Amino acid sequence: MNAPTSAARTAEERLAALRREIDPVTLEVVRHRLQGIADEMQLTQVNASFSSAVKEAADAAASLFLPDGTVLAQSASIPFHLGTLIPAVGHVLRRFPRETMREGDIYFLNDPYHGGSHTPDIVIAMPIFHRGGMIGISASVSHHNDLGGMVPGSLPPNATEIFQEGLRVPPQLYQRDGALNETLRDILMLNVRTPETLEGDINGQIGACHIGARRLRELAEEHGTEGLVRLSAGLIAYAEARTRAELARIPEGTWRAEDFLDNDGVELDKRVRIAVAVTIKDGTMHVDYTGTSPQTKGPINAVPSAAQAAAYFAVRCIGDPTIPSNGGCFRPVRLTLPEGSLVNPRPPAPVNARTGTVKRLSTTILSALRPALPDRLTAPWAALTLVCRYIGTTDAGERFVVGDHFVGGAGAGLDRDGVDVIATDMGNTWSLPVETIELEAPVRVRENAIRPDSGGAGRHRGGNGLVREFEVLSAEMQFVHRGERHFEPARGVEGGQDGARSRTTIIRTDGSTEDVPSKAMLRLKRGDRVRIETAAGAGWGDPALRDPAAIAADIEAGKVSAEAAARLYGQRGSG
Amino acid sequence: MTKQGSQVEIGIDTGGTFTDVACRDAGGAVRRTKIPSTPKDPAEAILAALAHARDAWGIAPGAIRRFVHGTTVATNAVLERKGARTALLTTEGFRDVLEIGRHNRKDEELYQVKLSPNTPVFLAPARRRIGIRERIGADGSVVTPLDEAGLLRAVDALAAEGVEAIAIAFLFSFLNPVHEERAAALIAARHPGIALSLSSVVDPQFREYERTAVTAFDGYVKPVLARYLARTDARLRAAGLGCGFSVIHSRGGVTGTETAALRPVRLFLSGPAGGVIGGQSVAAAAGLDAAITLDIGGTSSDIALIARGKPLIASHGWIDGFAVRVPMVDVNSIGAGGGSIAWLDRAGGLHVGPRSAGADPGPACYGKGGEEPTVTDASLVLGYLDPDGFAGGRIRLDAGRAHRAIETRIARPMGLSVAEAALGIHRVVNAQMAEGIRFVSIKRGHDPRRFALVPLGGGGGLHATPLARALGLARVVVPQAPGVLSALGLLAAPIEHERATGFPARLADAPLDALRAAFARLDAECARLMAADGAEGLQRTVTHLADICYVGQSHHLEVAVDLAAADPRAALYAAFLDAHRQVYGHAVERPARIVNLRCVHQARAGGDAALSFPNDAPPRPSASRPIIVEGRTAPLPAVIIDRASLGPGTSIAGPAIIEQSDTTTLVEPGWRASVGEGGLLFLDRDTEARP
Repeated sequence: MNAPTSAARTAEERLAALRREIDPVTLEVVRHRLQGIADEMQLTQVNASFSSAVKEAADAAASLFLPDGTVLAQSASIPFHLGTLIPAVGHVLRRFPRETMREGDIYFLNDPYHGGSHTPDIVIAMPIFHRGGMIGISASVSHHNDLGGMVPGSLPPNATEIFQEGLRVPPQLYQRDGALNETLRDILMLNVRTPETLEGDINGQIGACHIGARRLRELAEEHGTEGLVRLSAGLIAYAEARTRAELARIPEGTWRAEDFLDNDGVELDKRVRIAVAVTIKDGTMHVDYTGTSPQTKGPINAVPSAAQAAAYFAVRCIGDPTIPSNGGCFRPVRLTLPEGSLVNPRPPAPVNARTGTVKRLSTTILSALRPALPDRLTAPWAALTLVCRYIGTTDAGERFVVGDHFVGGAGAGLDRDGVDVIATDMGNTWSLPVETIELEAPVRVRENAIRPDSGGAGRHRGGNGLVREFEVLSAEMQFVHRGERHFEPARGVEGGQDGARSRTTIIRTDGSTEDVPSKAMLRLKRGDRVRIETAAGAGWGDPALRDPAAIAADIEAGKVSAEAAARLYGQRGSG
Repeated sequence: MTKQGSQVEIGIDTGGTFTDVACRDAGGAVRRTKIPSTPKDPAEAILAALAHARDAWGIAPGAIRRFVHGTTVATNAVLERKGARTALLTTEGFRDVLEIGRHNRKDEELYQVKLSPNTPVFLAPARRRIGIRERIGADGSVVTPLDEAGLLRAVDALAAEGVEAIAIAFLFSFLNPVHEERAAALIAARHPGIALSLSSVVDPQFREYERTAVTAFDGYVKPVLARYLARTDARLRAAGLGCGFSVIHSRGGVTGTETAALRPVRLFLSGPAGGVIGGQSVAAAAGLDAAITLDIGGTSSDIALIARGKPLIASHGWIDGFAVRVPMVDVNSIGAGGGSIAWLDRAGGLHVGPRSAGADPGPACYGKGGEEPTVTDASLVLGYLDPDGFAGGRIRLDAGRAHRAIETRIARPMGLSVAEAALGIHRVVNAQMAEGIRFVSIKRGHDPRRFALVPLGGGGGLHATPLARALGLARVVVPQAPGVLSALGLLAAPIEHERATGFPARLADAPLDALRAAFARLDAECARLMAADGAEGLQRTVTHLADICYVGQSHHLEVAVDLAAADPRAALYAAFLDAHRQVYGHAVERPARIVNLRCVHQARAGGDAALSFPNDAPPRPSASRPIIVEGRTAPLPAVIIDRASLGPGTSIAGPAIIEQSDTTTLVEPGWRASVGEGGLLFLDRDTEARP
């Protein structure tokens, strides 16, 4: 390792001082308690949910905050949501300063330009009081079925302004002194397509916040309010000092990477550039997005809270997993988000499809840092979630709107192949069972398989993507397809090859085929088939150096065909 | 000998190190012993137990009335990847379902860039996963007929490759099993030696990955279990056992070996289930209907809940990190136990586990080469353990090594005294266990404060009062013989069988006739299984259950069905709302739907005399030694008492250490230990003690 830098020494000194100030054992005990509280909140809201995104895919998160908006504990859940809850609570506090908060209040927001990230994600925050004083905030975010707007589900792939994405609510009181704000509730319920589901799920979030409140009060009772404040500050300072120490171990310098999104769903032939310059210096990380494309006409823009979440994710990935996950981890992180760009759009730019952008932001930051941390980081992941929606009316006359989503492959590492078909980066959502899809939408899935020959060849192979083919069983159907990596592959590293690009083909009943240009709203007819092939992870190292046994195993498992193996690796593996 | 022997029942629990044996006679007197386990062939230890009963206790094998076994053979086959060579037949186009899973990565890899696979591909690697042309639609109709010729070609090839088991998991077979059944019939006729597992039998519920995985697990362990059970049965009979033997399954019920071999995936928790049932008996004997059992082992601790007098059953469990969707006692493992290693992170923060010193080399104080400090080393330093009396004197502990390990690895780097560091280790591990217990309780909607803690196994007694304090639990109940509680639980477990079926219908207009008919079918299947296990003449309890959720929800709740109610649907709906409120904290009057129906038949199998534990050695006299406890700066003199010397009605204020051959119980200051009528040891907050 390098000689300790002054930043490393400073961080070590800070840690040593902390150890003198606060009993490290008590700190570890309280950390377990806080983690337990956040996890219990998450469990409560997921179990009670009606929304398909939450009930099958756990598309939700929960956290505890200090009264000043510093995050104190985060549930083990989707990193993207955990990251966006932080600015969301900040926006609540800006609109409703803590002095104005009262016991029995519940705050609500979903507007992306006021701390949300896209309209279906509703943030619920509840101030927690103990013996008359405010000791914290419990907060939850959850993806709801529908918030109104031009399409069911409120994620129109062709939106050109946010007004098409459904009802926007800036920070508002959903409950005051324990009494429901019926005005807000009534407006909400009138503007969404599935009001009873929405209300049930909001109640689930509120239930989770109550649990966080009760348990934080218990902790305050045990340690005294002063004690809790001191321990919380200690935990946050500890996470900060440790994160600084970790950052100080990375060689100082500026590391750059770029990547391209396919298009914005509206201007289909225009690639969208992501540029990052990550500067590591004095135990801090500065992420500069200068050079990233201007904000787009279509809805792939990421509001600052989302872009910030990507950087927060990256700093957790390069840190040590024993660092408590709280606001201290993020203090050494600074961002430059050029105004009017993809990562800091001006309203009313549409933002609903920011997931693909944010996933790639995080991957691009990690790609930039890979040369600095070759043993910890990997070649690029496919880092995509293909988000789909089947919309229409069954032959029996019932309307249906069913969401579905697919992932690609992971990047290869210095010491291993990438995993085939796995959720990477800032999401970790579960796929929907084929049987669920067929029970809810008039489609028949014909294939659901690992996509052979797609992983980037290399000394270590990139993870393969997915093949999914379905047939339409109703007279007509709309199919929303929000793809990525149709044009820009995950780039191989150290001589490794690129992962295969995504490809989606419509096979009409007359046998004609059409390629889907990454993002589209398709009109399908009975008997049409759609074949989806998701992108794969990139390879690492020269394919000529791949272990022949690994090549043979890939062929036997059908992950690499014999022909492809011969072409990519020579004949070594087939013998 | 034979007269008394004819009422003798023996429970045998195979553990990693020891095989525990409990023997109960008609009067309830319990004899017990530990026999070293024989992992290569667990039956060796079972036969040794039979020999011990004959030679040491004078019980002729032919006079034993019941012989119940808790086995880890299924679990170990998975953990050691030593299951059968298994193939998986799926619907064409879906052979990768087992490998793709649900796309999610492991929770512990959330912030990791290098990822590892998250599905049990080892059960059936790609070359043994074959797609078969056939298709059942989402409405249960046949869309594409089964390609019988293609099936047989595939199976012939698999047979030629030496496949021992075939799992069949076709799409929508839970709605219409015709293709799975036809495929099974064809394979059985042609290759009768190959074991078959059908997803429509193992787990007839929707979600193809979960159903496929559990069916593949069933196939993977089926030949292994069948061989083990048949051979052991034959050897026991050859040794003179007249009653045949039975095993406990993951729900905590007892079943005959032949039935068990047909449903092997239901044996993954055969080991821990005995302990949970044992805990249930202890809670009942103590007059409690709500208890948390805690079994602290070397590398992990198992937590389970008894609510309303019954163990909580989960709709699925876990093995080696993979979900297995069959009902099991809800045993939750956390990665902290007596052998868990204490370590400092780069910044000097103290952590305990999940790495463990295991049994070999074991804690530093075992003197078997372990250098890293463990929870047990901390217990020794804190004065809780007697170096000469550990595990009934079987293992001599080296206090010097424990002291040195904690000093060099923890105390000195942290700038603490060795005692402070040891206490820190205990506090951290207790905090982890407390959160584990809380999470398990809350997950099922229970407030842990209403529960009593029942420590079982050897390690729980040292952590019981600190945990009860941290969780605000009502009281602690230490069983008479925690070390063999699992083996005793085997004897207390009922004969039990469960059958379930999918029954998708809106609750409000579910056809009652169809509902009754479905339960009648399930009842008939259960009755057949019960009869096969010799429960015909016994008093039987029949429970009808339904998995219910709101329309639009997908996590369901299990609710009892009363077919005799005036309006069974209304009663079911009301019960569902209650359950929803209990588990999730709220309930609204919205339409609900039925997902599955389930039927459970139980019959009491064993004797019901109250247990007694005759002493086999005279009690040792009381002594005193200093111990270190949380919240006190100086060591406190604690009274050290042999549990055998404590008669009913005795009461002792902490600080105290109560020793017995199979456990050590710490009574912290502020707690009081008292002995109940049946010999149970209660630990309660001492209201008389000064703070």
